[in-house]
Amino acid sequence: MNFCKRAWLNVWAKKGRSILLILVSAAILMFVLAGLLIRSAAVKATNQAKAEVGATVTLSANRQAAFKQMRKSSQSKSSKRSKLTLNPVKLSDATKIAKLKHVGSYNVTSTTSANAKSYDTVSTSTGMGGGGTSGGPGKMGGKTTTSTGDTQIDGVTATSLTSDFSDKQSKIVKGRGITSSDRNTNHVVIEKELASQNDLSVGDTMTIKKTTGNKGTVKVKVVGIYKASSSSASTAGPMSTDPSNTVYASYTLANSLKGSKYANTADSVTFNVTAPSQVSQVKKAGNKVISSSKYALSTDDSSYQTVKASMSSFEGFANKIVWLVAIAGTIILALIVILMIRERRFEIGVLLSLGEARWKIVAQFFTEMIMVLVVALAIAGVGGKFVGNQLGSQLMSQAATTTQTTSSMAGQGQGGGQAAMTTQRARQRLSWPLRSVRSIWPNSVGLVLPLPSCRLCWLQEASCAWNRVKS
Amino acid sequence: MLKTQDLSYWYQNANQPLFKNVNLEFEEGESYAILGHSGTGKTTFLSLIAGLDTPKDGAILLQDQSLKKIGLTNYRRKHVAIVFQAYNLFTYMSPLNNLLTAMAITESKHAGDREYATQVLRDLGIGEDLITRNVQHLSGGQQQRVAIARTMVCDARLVVADEPTGNLDEDNTQAVITQFQSIAHDQKKCVVIVTHELDVAAMCDHQYRLENRQFTKLA
Ligand SMILES: Nc1ncnc2c1ncn2[C@@H]1O[C@H](COP(=O)(O)OP(=O)(O)OP(=O)(O)O)[C@@H](O)[C@H]1O
Ligand SMILES: [Mg+2]
Repeated sequence: MNFCKRAWLNVWAKKGRSILLILVSAAILMFVLAGLLIRSAAVKATNQAKAEVGATVTLSANRQAAFKQMRKSSQSKSSKRSKLTLNPVKLSDATKIAKLKHVGSYNVTSTTSANAKSYDTVSTSTGMGGGGTSGGPGKMGGKTTTSTGDTQIDGVTATSLTSDFSDKQSKIVKGRGITSSDRNTNHVVIEKELASQNDLSVGDTMTIKKTTGNKGTVKVKVVGIYKASSSSASTAGPMSTDPSNTVYASYTLANSLKGSKYANTADSVTFNVTAPSQVSQVKKAGNKVISSSKYALSTDDSSYQTVKASMSSFEGFANKIVWLVAIAGTIILALIVILMIRERRFEIGVLLSLGEARWKIVAQFFTEMIMVLVVALAIAGVGGKFVGNQLGSQLMSQAATTTQTTSSMAGQGQGGGQAAMTTQRARQRLSWPLRSVRSIWPNSVGLVLPLPSCRLCWLQEASCAWNRVKS
Repeated sequence: MLKTQDLSYWYQNANQPLFKNVNLEFEEGESYAILGHSGTGKTTFLSLIAGLDTPKDGAILLQDQSLKKIGLTNYRRKHVAIVFQAYNLFTYMSPLNNLLTAMAITESKHAGDREYATQVLRDLGIGEDLITRNVQHLSGGQQQRVAIARTMVCDARLVVADEPTGNLDEDNTQAVITQFQSIAHDQKKCVVIVTHELDVAAMCDHQYRLENRQFTKLA
């Protein structure tokens, strides 16, 4: 262990040079460390995003085929105006698709409208009154003319499976949401506004009037009250009824309001795909199950794709930093070490003349380097926080902008509300790399350098994307 | 004690050997001076008997055992102590630590004995105030005395020195040679000194001159 003592004596005697060496190595290590942290955080975040960001496959009527059919018939029978015929989705098809690989839960949606009987609907002050258009697809072309009511009935399998609830656009504030056990019941969940205006609470019943068939009345029971966020209200156009008039019920109730023909059908069925990367596979397999002339499967993995894209650019950047700094650093350190050894050739000579073993001479130099590196690493650990902070926040804002533009572009093709939610979701995912940086980093670093940082994501408050998302 | 047997050496790029078939004998308790013009191969000869290089032909025997058999690293550690003209010491240590380090490496019987090392340094005129100071802050003569002290605290029976007084003034030269004489006569070691200075050589017990690829003993 004699060489250890020599190493220590040398490092201690040449303090100035040792400090310089420590600073140079610390600078190099700092960048490597920061890069590595950002990279591993990006990898983590990507995996997290893959697991958390949902992708869906939706089964609905094949509109394109229906339009084509309509045009064809209008050409042949030029005198008559032909109508768009959309086939409601059969639930038997849905159960077949649900059995496919990578398909998790699914939500059946059946939307219709009814008229208020025992209560008054909420009217928006700027709105056009009660009689807007509502009700999605599912109007059977043909004899039955359907007039629209002032209350929209959203039939679902479970409210928790709808995008409004899963994205926290709507929240249950009293009672409970619709679940699959509400099948074949007249249970409904109404909006807070509607409830307070009519003095309705959980357990009360209300009467609605059918808009089809015999136009009879149906008694329904309130099991829960939800609150729709203002953003979903603002997305509603001027022609639609106030969003507070949307009543959630089991799809079976919506189907029975539409008429007996609609039993065991749906407007659309949305399947959650457990592995977002497998969406196209699921679609392919699903298309084999259904009749493609009547029905179509559409996919939505846009949030997954945007997250994936921004994460891979993030990761790529971090990768480049790590490599660049590591290579440059190695070259610099190698040059320094070569110079050091040249300078010490007399010392090596003396050691050899004393009969010191070669490996012990090498070991002495290594020990000296390790001593320097240990101190440098400690400094880099502290300094890396700053560098990681700066780099991270810069990359974050870059990535966030990319996400925003990509998702709004995607949104134009798909429908506005969905895209807005996607952006928000993707932005929340993006704060992940930095949150995991904080989890990797020992807490003691925070004690050494008490900075005003975001509680959630380790970044300084001002540059925290997560904070911006929240506000 | 140390014998050379038909020792020859030449550098790869040279067209003739520096010395050829050299047969010399060095005894314990005696001091030897090697004289010769510059470039004749004195340092080369010394590096051979110090175990820093291997002969091209012939052999070097320590108590009838060839250096090859003893092993050069082992030979340097146990049997020989070297003093160069300069750069003898670890620049990042004090005189005392230089001695202690050498004692530890050579596994001297005095290894770790600070008292002994201090005493030897004091005998050579390196006082209390100097022994814990960095050696770079010592004069050339003082540094050379530390190097000599190092050969005294190690167990090696053979001490070789290459122009140990080359950088020193007359007074220091006198002191250093006296020390070498005491190493030979009091410690009963074998001392081999290469020098240019005739008066230095004259103070040694035996003198050799390297000339025309041969060593000749001077009367
Ligand atoms: N590594 C080497 N390779 C080739 N030739 C060498 C090498 N070292 C020394 N020489 C040559 O060998 C010869 C003897 O060198 P050496 O150093 O032994 O001389 P010296 O007698 O010690 O001289 P000086 O009195 O100047 O110190 C010189 O001519 C020198 O140029
Ligand atoms: Mg020489």
